[in-house]
Amino acid sequence: MTVEDVMRTDHGPALMLSNEAVVRGALESDVKVVSFYPGSPVSEILDTFGEVLDHFGDYKMEIAANEKVALETVAGASMAGVRSFTSMKSVGMNVASDSMFSMGYTGLNAGCVCLIADDPFAHSSQSEQDGRYFGEVAYVPMIEPSNAQEAHDMVRWAFEVSERHKTLVIMRTTTRVNHSRGMVKLGDLKRTPFERKSWADVKGQYFTVGSVARALKAKLLEKKAALQKEFEKTKFNFIDEGKGTTGVITAGVCYLHTKEAMRNLEAELPVLKIGTLFPLPEEKIADFLKRLDKVIIVEELTPYLETRITAIAKEANPTIEIIGKKSGHFSEMLEYNVPIVEKVLSDVTGSEISLDYDAILTRAEELAEVLSNRVPIFCPGCPHRGTLWAFRQALNRLKIRDKIVFNNDIGCYSMAFLPPNEFSDSMLAMGASLGLSAGMNLVLEDKVIAMVGDSTLYHAALPGIVNLIHHNSNVTLFVLDNSVTAMTGQQFNPNSEFNAGGHPARKINMEKFFEALGAAKIAIIDPYETRDCIQPIIDAIQIEGLSVIISKRDCALYGDRLKKRLGEKIVPSENVKDTCRSIYACVKEFYCPAILVDEDDRKMKIQQDLCDGCLECRQVCPVDAPRHIER
Amino acid sequence: MSGTFNIMFCGVGGQGLMLLSSILGKAAVDAGLEVMTGEQHGLSQRQGSIYVHFRIGEPISPLIAYGKADMMIAMEASETLRYIEYLKDGGVVIMSNRIMPSVSETEKVALDKTGKTKYLTIEQIVDKLKMVTDNIVLLDSLELALQAGNAKTENSVLVGAALACPDFPIPTEKVREAVLALVPEKTIDANSRAFDLGLEAGGTCLGT
Repeated sequence: MTVEDVMRTDHGPALMLSNEAVVRGALESDVKVVSFYPGSPVSEILDTFGEVLDHFGDYKMEIAANEKVALETVAGASMAGVRSFTSMKSVGMNVASDSMFSMGYTGLNAGCVCLIADDPFAHSSQSEQDGRYFGEVAYVPMIEPSNAQEAHDMVRWAFEVSERHKTLVIMRTTTRVNHSRGMVKLGDLKRTPFERKSWADVKGQYFTVGSVARALKAKLLEKKAALQKEFEKTKFNFIDEGKGTTGVITAGVCYLHTKEAMRNLEAELPVLKIGTLFPLPEEKIADFLKRLDKVIIVEELTPYLETRITAIAKEANPTIEIIGKKSGHFSEMLEYNVPIVEKVLSDVTGSEISLDYDAILTRAEELAEVLSNRVPIFCPGCPHRGTLWAFRQALNRLKIRDKIVFNNDIGCYSMAFLPPNEFSDSMLAMGASLGLSAGMNLVLEDKVIAMVGDSTLYHAALPGIVNLIHHNSNVTLFVLDNSVTAMTGQQFNPNSEFNAGGHPARKINMEKFFEALGAAKIAIIDPYETRDCIQPIIDAIQIEGLSVIISKRDCALYGDRLKKRLGEKIVPSENVKDTCRSIYACVKEFYCPAILVDEDDRKMKIQQDLCDGCLECRQVCPVDAPRHIER
Repeated sequence: MSGTFNIMFCGVGGQGLMLLSSILGKAAVDAGLEVMTGEQHGLSQRQGSIYVHFRIGEPISPLIAYGKADMMIAMEASETLRYIEYLKDGGVVIMSNRIMPSVSETEKVALDKTGKTKYLTIEQIVDKLKMVTDNIVLLDSLELALQAGNAKTENSVLVGAALACPDFPIPTEKVREAVLALVPEKTIDANSRAFDLGLEAGGTCLGT
């Protein structure tokens, strides 16, 4: 496992996930403060820093309440004179950007690097947001690696650039790079002890408004020019020489797809690989365009490079043909791969494609027709399954299933939009369910319901909650309290008794703060006592004002890990076939992946190696057929 | 070795696919080979479809191009069809016979009162695979794991079977060492037996 590679004192090569290579690069740069809010595809960065925290013992780490707090934490550490690092998913920067824009103006002190990871294909995000614009719009330098080695090397370089120009540096990645493993030559791991500083020794002014802001803006333009000059020369913007007057400009993982496509086609086009997205090496690009008749621009998502290169070409080579998204060759949608790039290169250069990819895809589609979709689903033992079942029963009993609006939020429970729950009225962004509920409550005659998990509660829901209570809004809020940030790998959050590396932290008491805020009602339910949850939910829904239902039960994966640590066994369940009457409530109303139908007797059967023994299915069964197996 | 050997791993979240890919990664690196992977980590939920593009030799992109995987290693049988576009014609399929039906399939089976709707069978899957390749190693990996003494050694069975493939680029002993280095200490003996049982079963299927 490669977390050991992060600690190695030799120079490798080590096979590392890019996320791990980033951690290694930051440790080689003697990073002293790191802070994160987890999010796919960067959670492994947080997890890896957490795993090696005690091994090194010379840096401080926090799991922050949200990305904005994380970025401010590392910026504060930089102002205080130590190197610092954070990472976040694409939409995390939306939350953090308020402070990030000001940091562009004020600048920072010690090296400070922020990684943001976009997610083409929206594998695990609410959109295919293209975060490359953040650099330019905030005047913050932005760089992009294509593989694990570059991720490692670029992080090290980013710390130097940050310190040299007293600025935050953003490293932009995409999911495909974060979750790719490659060989990494390691650098020296020279760590220094952690030492507190005195403000008098390190102080600067990080203050921007009005006339100060205007003066800072003028300096910022000078900083941009200096960065641009440096980036013209960096080895991370490079040309792979080739033959002919058709060339390629690309960046990130698309560089790798392009090079492999060229190998397949036996094509030798010159390729300019862009490592600095902002400022772009405009002179280098101009010189490259001057030698070409045709340039192919390979980049996922929006035409960020294409638009800027088109502008550069207007001066440098106005007659050049630009092949990209505007020419219709590439899509603004989804992830690219070798076949997508190979097809365009083959089209443009006339080289024969190495394989009939379209025919292969057509055949594969036919072969896979027999499969049913493996839609995302709650794990066996998940408390959310019980909470949502009880909520549906409550709505049925009140006969208001079609007289509610359900504003969902970001977490595993987002899956409530799928069968058998199908609560799909809204889900926008962290904490958005509360603000939407405020607006809907002003306008709709329906009952307004919102749902958040504990991590989302502390991340971005608090202002929305205060707003609802302050305005006497008539909303019922479910808080799913499962102790951890489950979806991204069960990291700790302010609702946990632990911080990074399992170090002790103070758990925020959510009942008390809801009480202090003046919630109209606070009901606490246990989703494993599924039937007993129905009446408290009915009562809470009928109350005027903000009623809060806290559903308390550990995330099943986290709970299993705790049990394992304590040496407790998981006792799976079985279906007592004599009792079972094939009513299938456990199938059609519950959707537990451990549950099958036995084709011999058409009764329910539990796959015991998948079962978590929660017995929520017994609560759902009208005849109580499931029970723990006896051992 | 010359060129690139591509393996498409697939399975269902919770089956230990990432460990399996780590084991082969370590073995390849220890044997002095270059490795690159493209992994689907997904979110943390169990039972989702997951994959790893595992490339040994001279890979450039982290993703295998369609039709260019030399081998597919499937911990769950139906997942072979979900990623079949990656397998080259005549490529080797090392697959467990375990099927984990999705909840939507279970619902269809339950709600058909005539009882005519059945779960997808292993025979149906293999018939489809045969449109692409005849080199299929179908293993009762759980049964072999139980024979080895631990139900949780199915991964070692599959790795062992992969080694029976004549062009597999990593030496058998390097892979065995990596398996034994990365599995929990208490299970080393069982994993070693599971590896051998897989190797033997794979050899029988591929006639090597």
